Amino acid sequence: MDQQLVAALARAAGLEKALAEFPEDVAAAAAQALNNAGAIQVPEDPAVEPWPPMRAGTGL
Amino acid sequence: MTALHWLSIAEASQAFAARALSPVELLSSLLERIGRLDPRLHAFIRLDADAAMEAARAVEKEIAAGRKRGPLHGVPIGVKDIIDVAGLPTTCHSKILLDNMAKQDAVVIGRLRQAGAIIIGKLSTHEFAIGGPSFDLPFPPARNPWNPDHHPGGSSSGSGAGVCAGLFPGALGSDTGGSVRNPASACGIVGLKPTYGLVSRRGVFPLSFTLDHVGPLTRSVADVGLMLDAMAGYDGADVGSAASASSARPFGHMLDRGVRGLRVGFVRHFHESDMPADAAVATALEEAARVLQTEGADVRNVTLPSLNEFAAVNRVILCSESWSIHARWLRDRPGDYGQLARRRLLPGAFMGAGAYVGAQRRRLQMIAAVEDALRDVDVLLCASSMDPASRIEDAEETQRTYSRQARTPFNVTGHPALAMMSGLASNGLPLSVQFVGRYFDEAMLLRVAAVYEHATEWHKRRPPIG
Repeated sequence: MDQQLVAALARAAGLEKALAEFPEDVAAAAAQALNNAGAIQVPEDPAVEPWPPMRAGTGL
Repeated sequence: MTALHWLSIAEASQAFAARALSPVELLSSLLERIGRLDPRLHAFIRLDADAAMEAARAVEKEIAAGRKRGPLHGVPIGVKDIIDVAGLPTTCHSKILLDNMAKQDAVVIGRLRQAGAIIIGKLSTHEFAIGGPSFDLPFPPARNPWNPDHHPGGSSSGSGAGVCAGLFPGALGSDTGGSVRNPASACGIVGLKPTYGLVSRRGVFPLSFTLDHVGPLTRSVADVGLMLDAMAGYDGADVGSAASASSARPFGHMLDRGVRGLRVGFVRHFHESDMPADAAVATALEEAARVLQTEGADVRNVTLPSLNEFAAVNRVILCSESWSIHARWLRDRPGDYGQLARRRLLPGAFMGAGAYVGAQRRRLQMIAAVEDALRDVDVLLCASSMDPASRIEDAEETQRTYSRQARTPFNVTGHPALAMMSGLASNGLPLSVQFVGRYFDEAMLLRVAAVYEHATEWHKRRPPIG
């Protein structure tokens, strides 16, 4: 992954301290995030909703 | 007579009722064993011996007066240290929460106390139920009683190690990506992740709101049912609690009914092609299918979405939700986490909202796929761990094998799932199988598991320790 991009994203997430102290952990986390998201077949049908559904009037 | 430390919950309860054993005698025996073995196993973060003994004395008087509450009355139970026990710190095995004193019991602890259980102490976990096994934390990691050079599974590692070693007959764990079933598999005991919402999570430190479950670990299928009888129930203050759970009680009411005429769906592709299992694990799975067939079940192949995609959906959801919990500490105190927890929690910072919602949309389809399969069969049979437990200090091998498992699909879908012993590998470590049931049909799940348990007798094997 582009290290400058990782650093910019980390700073945007407020992770300046982690970036300074544990740059390898931050880089590994960014790479893992990208790999995981790319492994999912997101439904093409726009009508497929996420789980759990919104349910009015239940629970609290 | 069975040694006291190997008594099951059911056996201890019967002995109490018959006045052949007292809760104080049992607890004293277990405390002696803990003192002898735990320095090698590290199952405990905090042993609460004095409070446990005080409770045992009170319970003993109640039972002597003829006021026996039920099968858990007087039975010592260990608690994973992410679950609140009033007056004790809930450390989550982390420097971050070393002084996090619990003001009140988690709901599930209250239910166990109401049933008369004795809380014996707080147990090792992976840091925040995700980072381990680790050697850079305030407490050492738990070790596997079958061979202390190996890990005991996790994240409910102390729960698995302690039940397996005969330190207590039952324990509580939590399961977000398989963390009850992993130690059950690695330690050769029984671990149940109940249906999502069946057991309250209030007072349990969250890892991932829509994936978190609380479940029991024991040495027998019947005991899992006894613990679940006490633990399960609606909690209006837990937004995930199931108000309309139609579970038939007690959960063990069908344990002796056999499997003749039942249909078992064998999810072979999980361990054959999605994530090829160690040969001994695969052989044990085929043997499990054969045993159930011999007992009269109709075993047929079932196909679900791929294991790798289930795992990816689990990770995206887990990382996204856990980031929302840990962001403030990861920003301000990153050095107070162990490296594994830090690396496993940070990815959420890099996942966009689109990835999370996409995973949740795919999740709905995955739930539908498992529901479709369970319309045609009564339970599913599949792998739990693809390998026996690795050496605990071999970080590379642990990293390679830890994710090779088929437990996360049922955190994604919320179906009840149980892991149990299915043999011993050539290196003497336990192998495992997993059974999966319909929503709130834990009774059927336990029925099938009990048939397998009694037909194979793996549950009678004990680790070569103490």
